[in-house]
Amino acid sequence: MSTREQRERVELLQGTLDLLILRTLVRGPVHGHAIAKAIEFNSDDVLQVEQGSLYPALHRLIKRGWISVEDGTSENNRRAKFYRLTPKGRRQLAVETSKWDKLAGAIAQILRPAEREGGS
Amino acid sequence: MSRRKRMLENLEQDIREHIAIETQDNIDRGMAPEEARFAAIRKFGNVRRATEETREVWSFVWLEQLLQDVRFALRTLRKNPGFAFSAVVILALGISANVIVFGVLDGLILRPLDLPHAEQVMTLQPQHGGPFLSFPEMRDVRDGNSVFSAVAAIEIQEFGLEANGATRSVWGCEASGEYFELVGIKPFLGRLLQRADDDHPGASEAAVISYSAWKSDFGANPNIVGTSIRIDKHAYTIVGVTPEGFYGTEKMALPDIFVPMANQASLDGVSWLESRGYHSLFSVVRIKDGVSRPQVLAELKTIVARMAREHPKEEEGLALKLARPGLAGDFIGGPARGFLAGVMALAGIVLLAACANLGSLFAARTADRTREIAIRMAIGSSRWRILRSVLIEAFVISIFGGACACVLSWMSLDGLSSWHPPTRFPIKFLVVPHPSLILMAFLLSLLAGILFGVMPLRQIFKTDPNEAIKSGGSQASPGRRWALRDALLAAQIALCCVTVTAAFVSLRGLSRAVTMDLGFNPKNAVRYQFDLSQAGYTADTVTDHFQRQMLEKVLQIPGVQAAGYANTTPLSLDASNTAIFSEQTVEFRPSNEAFDAYFYYVSPGYLAAAGTALLAGRDVSFSDTADTPAVAVVNQEFARRLFHTENAVGRYFKNRSGVSIQIVGIMADGKYFTLSEDPEAAAFYPISRKGDTKTSLIVRSQRDTGDMVAAIRDVVHELDPAVPIRESGTWSSQLSLSLFPSQVATVALGLFGAFGLLLSIVGTFGLASYTVSKRLRELSIRVALGAQARQILSTALGRMLIVLGSGSVVGIVLGVAASRLLSAIVYQASAQDPFVLAAVAFTVLLTGALSVAGPVRRALHIDPAQLLREQ
Repeated sequence: MSTREQRERVELLQGTLDLLILRTLVRGPVHGHAIAKAIEFNSDDVLQVEQGSLYPALHRLIKRGWISVEDGTSENNRRAKFYRLTPKGRRQLAVETSKWDKLAGAIAQILRPAEREGGS
Repeated sequence: MSRRKRMLENLEQDIREHIAIETQDNIDRGMAPEEARFAAIRKFGNVRRATEETREVWSFVWLEQLLQDVRFALRTLRKNPGFAFSAVVILALGISANVIVFGVLDGLILRPLDLPHAEQVMTLQPQHGGPFLSFPEMRDVRDGNSVFSAVAAIEIQEFGLEANGATRSVWGCEASGEYFELVGIKPFLGRLLQRADDDHPGASEAAVISYSAWKSDFGANPNIVGTSIRIDKHAYTIVGVTPEGFYGTEKMALPDIFVPMANQASLDGVSWLESRGYHSLFSVVRIKDGVSRPQVLAELKTIVARMAREHPKEEEGLALKLARPGLAGDFIGGPARGFLAGVMALAGIVLLAACANLGSLFAARTADRTREIAIRMAIGSSRWRILRSVLIEAFVISIFGGACACVLSWMSLDGLSSWHPPTRFPIKFLVVPHPSLILMAFLLSLLAGILFGVMPLRQIFKTDPNEAIKSGGSQASPGRRWALRDALLAAQIALCCVTVTAAFVSLRGLSRAVTMDLGFNPKNAVRYQFDLSQAGYTADTVTDHFQRQMLEKVLQIPGVQAAGYANTTPLSLDASNTAIFSEQTVEFRPSNEAFDAYFYYVSPGYLAAAGTALLAGRDVSFSDTADTPAVAVVNQEFARRLFHTENAVGRYFKNRSGVSIQIVGIMADGKYFTLSEDPEAAAFYPISRKGDTKTSLIVRSQRDTGDMVAAIRDVVHELDPAVPIRESGTWSSQLSLSLFPSQVATVALGLFGAFGLLLSIVGTFGLASYTVSKRLRELSIRVALGAQARQILSTALGRMLIVLGSGSVVGIVLGVAASRLLSAIVYQASAQDPFVLAAVAFTVLLTGALSVAGPVRRALHIDPAQLLREQ
């Protein structure tokens, strides 16, 4: 991994991984590796998921009842666990998303004046 | 739990699948298989941590890890038995020393008597002198006050108790009328003594027995009430039993039987109810609700002033004070409080030293584990996890240490409470090992262990895995800086020196006390004690009817060199003193008295039997009777105080009743009440002038004491089989009570001293061997480069010696300062004694040398070739 790559990629904020997983599962049940890939792909490879940290996050969500798990077969015929959004998880996603929007908005508001000063 | 199991069932496999898919993706993108696999793993991150964190999601993981850590800690401790053992021992000793001392302090001093509203129960005692009041004094307070709800007095006495057809000598208590009303307890059986029982002599023959006597001597008979017994040949009836846990109001004297004080004359053989000068009663008072201490003191002042006005001859100058009951007021309570506070401080010092020791032990241990910790961190263990394992190790050690401390302190306190000091007096330490105390010990050790286990945390958090692994566990500049553990060691050695100094000071004091001149020679003498009033004799008849015959028969026993008897002997606690007046005195009031002197009634031959030197004049004789002029043998101090010369034979003094007494002999000074007293005046009067049923027979012989004791017993029994013998045996062994305070002090301080030494050895050895092993490689190189032994030593242990030296010097100075406090307890204890200083310095030096000897040897025998090959 080159240092250039490292600089461009952004480490995930604490707790945002949960949100991203929930968002990924909206489109239907997916297995673990595919979730990681989807997050990377959908963010144009900017968000770097340390794949190992996916599993504790998945299990946390299962424990909270936001996602469920079922056995299945992956695209290349391997046995894999598929994760599915539960109705409770769907509601939670809405809550989390609006929370995130508020947070992002607030941070943007704080940062904008600074940007103007820097730009001038 | 089952859900958890299901969820985690295939976790590893899932992760493997995940990596396999990623690898496949990479291969599809054109990577070589090997490279693809590594890239996949790198991308996944730490598999182990991911698994662990996922497991943690499912809960009881902390418990699981805890168990794992505990198992790991146990395993590592088993592998380091030296470390584990010293840590546990240090903790156990440090904690239990404190708990034991606190237990004694609590039982004897802090804990109030187990009575309802015990805080209102106090004792009155004269401002000066002994703790006792006379009966008329108690009565004046009782009848003339408005601040006490009850006032009572007790006299502890020995009785001949006849029950179930056998006579035994038991300790009893003559209690005045309001006593049981005052203590406020409910009888276990029957009733307690009431005011009516004490109304006048012979008002009642009621006796109350204690719960323990009921249990042990009367077979816990539920129908005991109404049983007839005989006390000193007088008929009594048991009317009740005190409740369990009631031991009277003096914590160190436990009476088995209570009788009305009004009957005292028939039991004691002398009548003192009307005698103001007969000070032998412990008083107890209960302060009324809502009455303040200043009010009580003000009223006492008024009462005492009235007494002094009405009875100037006896009471002039009297002042009463309030004191806490239980230990003869401030008389024993004061010194005991001081001593126990001192020992408590010493125990605190030992605990501090133990903690310092533990701290440096843990610090050294953590340093030893630097490499292991670095490796664990390098392979992805979190700092918290490592911290936790260190904590758990400390925790495991504290649990073991705490358990040992609990067992040790429980056993010691239990032993102490069932232990009787070497005396015939009913002394018992009411120190019960309270569960709360044991819990405290346990918590204390947990706290100490964990606190000092965590101390080296900084070390762990600073650890740089790369650096630690590279340098092979020994850091770049090991031990160049002064570390926390050096300071800890110096502090600990200083503290240990304090305990060692205290131990030596008291040991020296005790050895002086043992070899001191007592004024008599207890060696090769046997002493018999009995009270003939228990066999029905009276003071008037006893000399002619029993004692003289006994003396003649004893003198005929083969091998007897000298024999004599007295009402009591010096250093047996029941010493009496009286005012002495010069011959010119005409008014015999306290302000005119010359001084107080101890007085004894002795038979002819007593001086020779006791080994007291008669320096001038003659011994008393049986021809000195009530009809001949009064005479006395006095000691040198007596003569010096009255006449400023020891040539006093033939001169006169007067007693309190104004009788002129001629001095016929001068004897050597001695000790009369305590070993630590200053020279006191004493007068020996002829016992044939004033008989006494209390008899202490002294027989001096070269024969085996066992034979002698038996032979004398036969003589006494032949004369009168009804005489109950209280005490018999060698005089030396019976004196042990006088040595008791010094012995207790010496044993206690000796233990602390030994413990301090042990701690300093462990600490010094630990740090020295740690230092050497840390710098083994550096030392090897030095040896290889041709360094001399001296240079090696100063490199390896130079700093240790500075630490040792400065710690010792500070400690000895502190110890000398602290030992001044000891002189109140231990006779002639002084830290200025060059012998003590030399002994302390030598001991400290020796232990220091011993404990660094091992590491020094190791440093000197370094084989550079071997070591450099290994590393």
